[in-house]
Amino acid sequence: MLISSNELTSLLKRVFEGMGYPVGYYEDAAGLVKWLQVHGEQGFGELQRALPYVADSQRPALELLAEESQALLFDCHGRSGLNCLPSIVELAQTKVLEQGCVNVKVRNCHNRKFILKLLVDCARQGISGLAYWQNGKQPVSEHVASIAVGARYPSYSEALLVDPATADTQTLTLLLSTRIDLQGQLHGSAGQRSGYRQVSPEQFARAGEGALEGGMDISIELWQQLNQLAEAVLVENSEQSRSGAGGR
Amino acid sequence: MSTPSCIDPGKRGAQAIRLRPAHVVMDLERLGSLHQSRLSFMRCLVRKIMREGWQIEARRFELDAEGYGTVIYRIQTTGDLFSFVLFSQYLDPDKRNDRVIASEWDLTMALCEGEVDDAYVEYLRQNVPLQEAGRLDSRVMVLSRANRSVRNFDSVVAALSAGQQPEVEQIARVGYLYRTTAVYGSGKLGMADWEKVSSKHPDFARPFAAEMFNCFMLRNFSLQQAEHIARQRAPETAVALQPQLKRYFGIGNSTGLGMAPYLINHPQLISRWIEMRELALARVRGLGQVTVERLARLQVLVERGTLHIQQTVTEDDWQTGNNRVVLEDFAALQDWLASHPLHSWEQLTNWAEQQLSLQGQELLNCILLELYPELVDSLEDSFSLVESLELQPQMPAAELQALIERHYAWALAIDFTADGASETFWYRSEEKQEPRLGNCNLESGRDKQMPLGIGYLAQQCHRQLGAYLAEHPAQCTASFLLRHPEQRGIVRRMQSMAKTHYGEIQANLLDREVLPMHLLRCKLAFFGVSKFDPRSRLWVRNTMFQGAPLLEDIGQPFEDDWFLPLAPTAEKR
Repeated sequence: MLISSNELTSLLKRVFEGMGYPVGYYEDAAGLVKWLQVHGEQGFGELQRALPYVADSQRPALELLAEESQALLFDCHGRSGLNCLPSIVELAQTKVLEQGCVNVKVRNCHNRKFILKLLVDCARQGISGLAYWQNGKQPVSEHVASIAVGARYPSYSEALLVDPATADTQTLTLLLSTRIDLQGQLHGSAGQRSGYRQVSPEQFARAGEGALEGGMDISIELWQQLNQLAEAVLVENSEQSRSGAGGR
Repeated sequence: MSTPSCIDPGKRGAQAIRLRPAHVVMDLERLGSLHQSRLSFMRCLVRKIMREGWQIEARRFELDAEGYGTVIYRIQTTGDLFSFVLFSQYLDPDKRNDRVIASEWDLTMALCEGEVDDAYVEYLRQNVPLQEAGRLDSRVMVLSRANRSVRNFDSVVAALSAGQQPEVEQIARVGYLYRTTAVYGSGKLGMADWEKVSSKHPDFARPFAAEMFNCFMLRNFSLQQAEHIARQRAPETAVALQPQLKRYFGIGNSTGLGMAPYLINHPQLISRWIEMRELALARVRGLGQVTVERLARLQVLVERGTLHIQQTVTEDDWQTGNNRVVLEDFAALQDWLASHPLHSWEQLTNWAEQQLSLQGQELLNCILLELYPELVDSLEDSFSLVESLELQPQMPAAELQALIERHYAWALAIDFTADGASETFWYRSEEKQEPRLGNCNLESGRDKQMPLGIGYLAQQCHRQLGAYLAEHPAQCTASFLLRHPEQRGIVRRMQSMAKTHYGEIQANLLDREVLPMHLLRCKLAFFGVSKFDPRSRLWVRNTMFQGAPLLEDIGQPFEDDWFLPLAPTAEKR
C-alpha cells in the first residue's frame, strides 16, 4: 500500500512515543527512519531489523566514556542508534564548532545506518562529516557515508568485508570538521568487490523526489504492525472520556 | 535550519513600526477573540480566484431527483488543472453525526490534481465515502465530508420548488445547507504531502489553501444541488435562488477539540500567522493616514459590524454575552467617533484598548485592516514557512537559563501548585484517535497525555537546569541534555521559539478551567470563518464563505468586500 511521508512520520512518532521515547527523541527517531525510506535506502527494512533494539528503555543510558579536546568516546550499551545518535552528534557538533575537528567513536550501537540523516543535518550547520561502520554476521559488510559542508545529500558506499574475522560490528566511527572537506568512499568497484554499491547525492535526491511525487510503498503487514505498536499512546475509550471530546 | 522572525527591517520599514507586545497578543483569551480579516485564508483564496478568473465548471453532474449521485468539477487555474469529485448518498438520519467517530455522511469529496478518468473516479468511489477507513494516493490533495443541515436544506428546497425564495430570517439563523465535519490534507490517508502540494501546485502553496478551496467548492455544490432537487421535484414552478440571497449561504463547519493540538504542535507557523496579522495592524496604525474617505468607510464598517453581530444567532449564553458586549462596544465607539476628532488610528486603538472588550477590540482591528488593502494584502505571501525546531547544542547552559527566563517568563509565573492548575490532561482516545480532555482526578490515562502543557514543561526544565548549573556552571546545552534527556524536546522548542517574534501561546493548558474554545476560534479566525456558535467549551459551529462570491460571479466585477456579511434586504435581492 502507498503512504505519504507525513503519514509515515506521524505514525512513527506514535510508535516511538509508545515505546517510551521522551519528547524530542521520538520525533528524531521518526525523522531518521523516514529519511532513509524516502531516499531509497530501505528505511522500513532497517526499522524492522531495529525493532528488537528500539524499545530499549531497560538498557543503561547512553554514556560519555571519555572526552578530549578533539575526541569523544561513547558507549550506547546495546541501544539503537535511533535514540542515541542524535544526542551523540549534537555533543560532537558543539565540540567541532569549538575545535574545528572532532573524532567520535561510538561503541555497542545498533542500527548505525540511521547516521545518514544526521550527516545531512551537520552539513546544514556548516559541518562536513564522514561515518564508517561495519555490520552483520557472515557476511559482514562495511559502510562509508560522507557529506560536504552545505550539501543536501551525502555520498554512501557499502561492500562486503574482505576479512570478516577482524570485524567490529557494533562500532561507529565519525569524523566531523568545519575545516576539512571530509569526502570519502570505499575503495574498489562493483566489479572488484562483492556487494559493492555506491549511492551518489544525485541518486538520493531523485529517490526523494520520487517518494514525494508518488508516495511510498509499505507492506500491509508492517503497516499493521506499526499501527499496533502506535496504539500504546492511546487511552481506552469510556463514556466519561467521550464527554471530554465535546460530546452531545 | 532555524525559522527566524519574518518581521525583518524590509517589512517593518526603515523606521521600525511599533508592534503590539507578545504578552498582549499571545494571551489565549485575546487569541480567542479574533475575527475574520482580509488576511484570513478564505479571503486570500477568493481574491486569487477572482483576480485570476479561474474557470470552474461541472464536467459531470449526475444527480438523481433526490440529489444523490456523482459530480465532478473541472478547475482550470492560470497554470494548473484540478478536479473536485463529490459523492452524494442517502444517509440514515440516525447515522448523521458531526463527530470524528461518525462512519457515514451525506456528502464525501476529494480535490485531486489533474483530470480524473472513469477508472480513477471508481477508485475514488471505493475509498472517498469511507473517509478515514479508506486509502487514497498522492494525486488527492484534500479529502472531506459534510452533513446536511436537514431543516434548512428541506425548507430551502421546498420553497424553491414552490417558486418562492427561502425566508431570509431562517438563513440568518443557520446560514448554510451543509456542515463539513472534517477536511483532511497534508498527506493524511496516503494523500499528497504538503511539501508536494506547495512545491508542485503554487495555487495552493499557502497554508490550508487547498482545504479552503474544498469548502468553497462544497458551498457552491450545495446550492447547485438544492436548485437541482427543486427543479426535479417541480419543473413547472421551481425557481433558482436570487443571487444576493444565494451569496448569503455559506458552508457550515463544526470544529471540535481535534483542531486544538495543531496550534501547540505548530508553534512556528502560528507565530508567523500572528506576526503577519500584527504587522498589518501596525502598518495601518503607523502609516495609514486618516482621511475623510477612510473615516466614512470606517463608519460604514462599524455599522455593518453592529448589524452582523445582531444577526449572529447562538444558543450559547457565553457567546451571547460576548456578542452583547461587542454591540455595546460598537455603540460606544460610534459615540466616541462622533465626539472626538480623529488624528491617527493609533489614537483610536489606544482608546479601544482602554474602553472595549477583547472581542470588540479585535473586531475593530479587523475593520482597520479593511481600510488599507494596499498596506495589508501583500502580507498574504508570507504566511508559509518551513517548520523546523532545531536544537542549539553549543549554547551555554547559563545562556539557556537566561533565554527561558526572558521568553518564558509567562510560564515561570504560573503556580502549578494552585488548586486545579494541573488538573487537565490532553490525550488521544483509542476511538479513532480522537483528541480529548481528561480530568486527572476522575480519569485514568494521564501517563499517556500529549505534551501540550508547554508552560508546565518549560517550568520543569528551568528547575532542572538551575540545579544542573549549580554543579556545572560552564557546561553547554548538549551536556545538560546528556544528563537530562527527557528535557530534549522542550529545550529544542524553547531555543527555536525564542527566535520568533511572538513565540508561544501564553496559557496554562493544563488548568481545570482551560477553554480550548479559544484555540479553536483563533485558528478558525485565520481560516476566515464567521458566526461563531460554541456548543460547549470543546466544540464550535461556524460558517465559512458566507457572503463570498459564487462560481457564477467569477469573471464579473469584484469588490473584495464580503467581510461581515449581512442578510440581504428585499430591495437588494
